Amino acid sequence: MSSLRTGSRCLRDIRQPGKAATVPWQSTSKASLAYRPKQPFNVTRFIATTAPRSAETTEIIPSDLESADQGQSAVVRVPYARAVPVSPSYFSRKPIFNDAFVVVQDLARKYARLPIIPKDKVTPTAWRTKEQYRLAVGEHAKGRDYATCMKLAKRLNQIHPDLMPEEVKAGLLPFKREVNYYLNQPKIQPIDQYGRSHGVGKRKSSVARAWVVEGTGEVLVNGKPLSEAFGRVHDRESAVWGMKLTERLDKYNVWAMVSGGGTTGQAEALALAIAKALCVHEPALKNPLRRAGCITRDPRKVERKKHGHVKARKMPTWVKR
Amino acid sequence: MIIREFGVRHGRKVLAAAAPLRRGQQQCLRALSTETSGTPVATADPAVEAALQTNPENPSPVPSLFARDWETAQQLRRNLMPVGTKVEHRYSPNDVFRNPPGPKDVTLELLMASQAHMGHHASVWNPANARYIFGIREGIHIISLEQTAAHLRRAARVVEEVAYHGGLILFVGTRPGQTQIVTQAARLAKACHLFTKWTPGTITNSDKILPGIPVEIVDELDRPVGPAFNQHLMDRRALVPDLVVCLNPLENFTMLRECSQANVPTIGIIDTNTEPTWVTYAIPANDDSLRCLAVIGSVLGRAGEQGQKRRMEDAKNGKVTWETPSEIKQFMEIQQKRARWSKRAAEEEAAATSGGGGPNGQSSTTPPKSSDRSYGRTPSTNRDGTPIFHADEALAELQMEVDLVNAEEDVSPQLRNTPRRGD
Repeated sequence: MSSLRTGSRCLRDIRQPGKAATVPWQSTSKASLAYRPKQPFNVTRFIATTAPRSAETTEIIPSDLESADQGQSAVVRVPYARAVPVSPSYFSRKPIFNDAFVVVQDLARKYARLPIIPKDKVTPTAWRTKEQYRLAVGEHAKGRDYATCMKLAKRLNQIHPDLMPEEVKAGLLPFKREVNYYLNQPKIQPIDQYGRSHGVGKRKSSVARAWVVEGTGEVLVNGKPLSEAFGRVHDRESAVWGMKLTERLDKYNVWAMVSGGGTTGQAEALALAIAKALCVHEPALKNPLRRAGCITRDPRKVERKKHGHVKARKMPTWVKR
Repeated sequence: MIIREFGVRHGRKVLAAAAPLRRGQQQCLRALSTETSGTPVATADPAVEAALQTNPENPSPVPSLFARDWETAQQLRRNLMPVGTKVEHRYSPNDVFRNPPGPKDVTLELLMASQAHMGHHASVWNPANARYIFGIREGIHIISLEQTAAHLRRAARVVEEVAYHGGLILFVGTRPGQTQIVTQAARLAKACHLFTKWTPGTITNSDKILPGIPVEIVDELDRPVGPAFNQHLMDRRALVPDLVVCLNPLENFTMLRECSQANVPTIGIIDTNTEPTWVTYAIPANDDSLRCLAVIGSVLGRAGEQGQKRRMEDAKNGKVTWETPSEIKQFMEIQQKRARWSKRAAEEEAAATSGGGGPNGQSSTTPPKSSDRSYGRTPSTNRDGTPIFHADEALAELQMEVDLVNAEEDVSPQLRNTPRRGD
């Protein structure tokens, strides 16, 4: 079909007028190299928008060139070859996305009548965002097209799971992330054979480990009772704040080890550790403990000192000359 | 951060809310009483214990009846729908996609029913379309359906023959709603489709616009040939369509201009306000009606399908209706030359070693000097045994081969002038 578009592409094809379609081995196949066609010529006219061209012949060339190319796997063995695009969306510059988009549109049309479930009942799906899709596919899919596609895809995802066709699952696959992080389950912390639960908490530079067991409210911090471990009442209260708040102070014993930092950091690290260990015994307490601020790690640390500053931010006193 | 006011303000309330424990979680008996129990609490009944141990996240699979019920309801609906009434066939917009009409089905009734005759207001007409216009009704130009049918049949013939001769057809419809039409036509005709914006330069600047978009090499039966053309696929330029069918020429002037520059014939649906000389083969019809466009698109798609079918049948009978494009033919020639050359070099090496060695042991037909250097070199190969293709070396070797063959027998002069891509 190259005869139809002999415009710009074929200018570089230098042909002799009389030998336009002859192949070179026709003339060189006398003695040593036998490339003789085994079948007679078929002469066909080619469609052309201009005047008919002379000497447009096609030859059936034997596809087995066994005399020449033994042992060379990459040698051309076909008599006819032409280039075709892999994807029908070749000229759209975004063949992968547009093919997937067409598939989604067809599926949405085909399965429009299947019953759907409400959005909040659908298993949460981790969709690729536009940027993630572009990164994964390597094509700059347009935002408007991607939004249209995702609208259809989410509608397809609402199809009742018992009736979800396999081809819909396959068609939606390019738009889903590899890992559905919505299905991640938190790791369940165990209670050991002695009924102890373990929790770790940190605050400032302090690290606290607490073992909580059912008991009568005894607290030992680094082998000392709470009043000896923390001289300040405020710190004592901080350390057992989670238990005090949830009225569990007299129902558990705590054995804890704290290291690093000062008293405030140690006390509040201990509060975090005890709260986590308490949640292992009673998971329902997690929400009140979180709202009391005993579950969240306080990320504030000592800010580093900067050069040119006296401390982290303090500047030297300004002196005139 | 510990919020100390929390316990005072909300402690009782949230504790009351948190009191009912979720199923399957370990009950804490200590929460109910301040007294300590020294002994662990044991559950008396092992069945209750087992029931408590079951994971609520993975319940035992109960066969869902939803799918069965739904299927039953559908069956019931299908059975009951015709009861008590006489159901006759009505027009449905999907009919044209369920059963696409072909060129044989083009009738004036079909075109009239699909509103192909509705032109634009007479004031916006393009006088070049005067020969397609039947008259004016209610201030609107009416397109002559006889003209439409004739031009549509001619365009279908063009599509069929281009498909028959292995051409690459592109269906373009970039207005909203035309996606299904062009994709269906392309699917029928094994062609390409475009339903998004035509990137200006896709033909005239395709080296910049379309690099790296995958292309494969197929033989006369449309089977992909193996890795023999990988080097060519890396080197070759982008494809250009052999025929472009445009459903909305008004919005695609750039594309039609590029096609005319590249000698690509075009088929376009020309409404009364469109310039008919933009396209090679005009189809006068209403380009604002999706119904009309769907009919025309499916007719052309069916025509392409028929052409592809004829082409495949002929290919199976040994008649190939297209010729190998020149750039692929050049690549194949170079590859053939290389194969023959390496075989001959191997033969001569074998002859030299068996003839007792020494430079004088070579055959007397060996040309002097220039070819010696290259003949002595073993062709470098890839890891998998495929020869590495270097364009410069291949051309140099090709020239030597031509010299060599010239020494023995006459050769076609075009081999000496084998052009090189990128020159």
